[in-house]
Amino acid sequence: MSDGSIAELVAAGTLPGRVWFYSNYHCNLAGAYCRTESSPASDRRQLDAAHIVALAQQAAELGFTELGVTGGEPFLLPAMPDILATMGGILPTIALSNGTLFTDHRLRRLAPLAQLPVAIQISLDAPDPTLNDELRGPENFAKVLDAVPRLIDAGIEVRIATTVEADRLDVDQHARLCELHRRLGVSDEHHIVRPIIRRGRAVDHDLGRHFDHTEIPAELTVTVDGAFWSPFGPTVHAGRLDTDLLVTRTIDPLSTPARALAGLVTGLPAGGDAKIGIR
Amino acid sequence: MPVRVATVETSQELPMPLIELIDERYAPLLVRDLFAGGDPGPIVAALAQVPELCEATLPFIGAALGPSLVPARLKEIAILRTSALAGCRYCVDAHTAVALDVGLSQQEIMVLRGEEPERAQFTNPVERALLTWVEEVAAGRGQVPAAVGHELRRHLPDHVIVELTVTVGATLFLNRFATALGLPTSAETTARIASAGFTTTNEETS
Repeated sequence: MSDGSIAELVAAGTLPGRVWFYSNYHCNLAGAYCRTESSPASDRRQLDAAHIVALAQQAAELGFTELGVTGGEPFLLPAMPDILATMGGILPTIALSNGTLFTDHRLRRLAPLAQLPVAIQISLDAPDPTLNDELRGPENFAKVLDAVPRLIDAGIEVRIATTVEADRLDVDQHARLCELHRRLGVSDEHHIVRPIIRRGRAVDHDLGRHFDHTEIPAELTVTVDGAFWSPFGPTVHAGRLDTDLLVTRTIDPLSTPARALAGLVTGLPAGGDAKIGIR
Repeated sequence: MPVRVATVETSQELPMPLIELIDERYAPLLVRDLFAGGDPGPIVAALAQVPELCEATLPFIGAALGPSLVPARLKEIAILRTSALAGCRYCVDAHTAVALDVGLSQQEIMVLRGEEPERAQFTNPVERALLTWVEEVAAGRGQVPAAVGHELRRHLPDHVIVELTVTVGATLFLNRFATALGLPTSAETTARIASAGFTTTNEETS
């Protein structure tokens, strides 16, 4: 357990301020490096919407400062626009998405987010469809290029995340990708490039590299199976949930995993270098 | 009322654990240190499924069953007898080995395991009073008869009685836990007790 309160540790920068929620594990895609082996056939392992909101409120009361939602593909849940609108009323929130499900109907339901501190981060891995779709699935590139401007036109903040093998995105590709996201209306500060983590399906495809948990920010991550060190924690390989980055099975009250995580973080030796973020 | 005594059957066909025993690769952060020295044993490997529970339980188990003011011999008499009465194959095996380590004789261990009904092996009045106390506590028939308690208090101070009663209670917890989940006896333990002429036991169903 930590000596200080969660709020103090967050304010001091000792503990990251964001709490992540795995809303569900299933996905309409089956990406080559997906850390949760998500696919349309995946077990949903869904967090109840009311529970997400209740835990988000607890996060705010404990002193966390931001929220995140990931999966699976969060927008497969019909309630996700409402969940995000409620979460955005509690703390600034970011939702990770593959960007392929933003129909006119869903965009209309997302309209309230324009008035709230809610951003949607969409994955785009390459500046051309061939390489991007090889990793992320057929027609993914075209769908993302269609969705991003429409979300921005709806007044919703959009960020782009590019997940790459160190040797797959060269300088030229990076420059073309940045040109592309700027053209779509996403600024440089809202574009992140992150490495493939060698967990989940990436293991089978020999992608990415292993990271020790001390290299990854300790962002409290809540799933239906328990609370983890980071959104890179609750991965699935060969159908089995990885528990090496499990903090506690208890997720409610949120103070239980929060204090356990704080204890782990404050117990790390000085000079730790956690730098691999999911966003 | 007669005390339930485990019948001891021998078998090499031990049950498979009901649940996955966590190994070092999947050891959660809170309990990872417990795996640093190698296989921590099935109790820890099972509890690691719920790391916050494991983290809280092990110190209690260590305090209740580990070295303390109470002589190890008395504790092992309480633990092994309780485990035999509860029919816990895993705990009987494990604490047969510990009992050997703390110097109990083969005949004494046979009595505690329920393989030898003649309690005359225990001549020390403290140990005889303790055995009666343990059997009553483990039987769970309610408050221990006054005569049994008074006899124990003639030999032991209250704090030792309290500790030994906690020892029996903690042992019963482990008995139920290990038996319900079918935790396996380690090869090392099986070999250790076999070298002293004991075999691993099956669960008692009395």
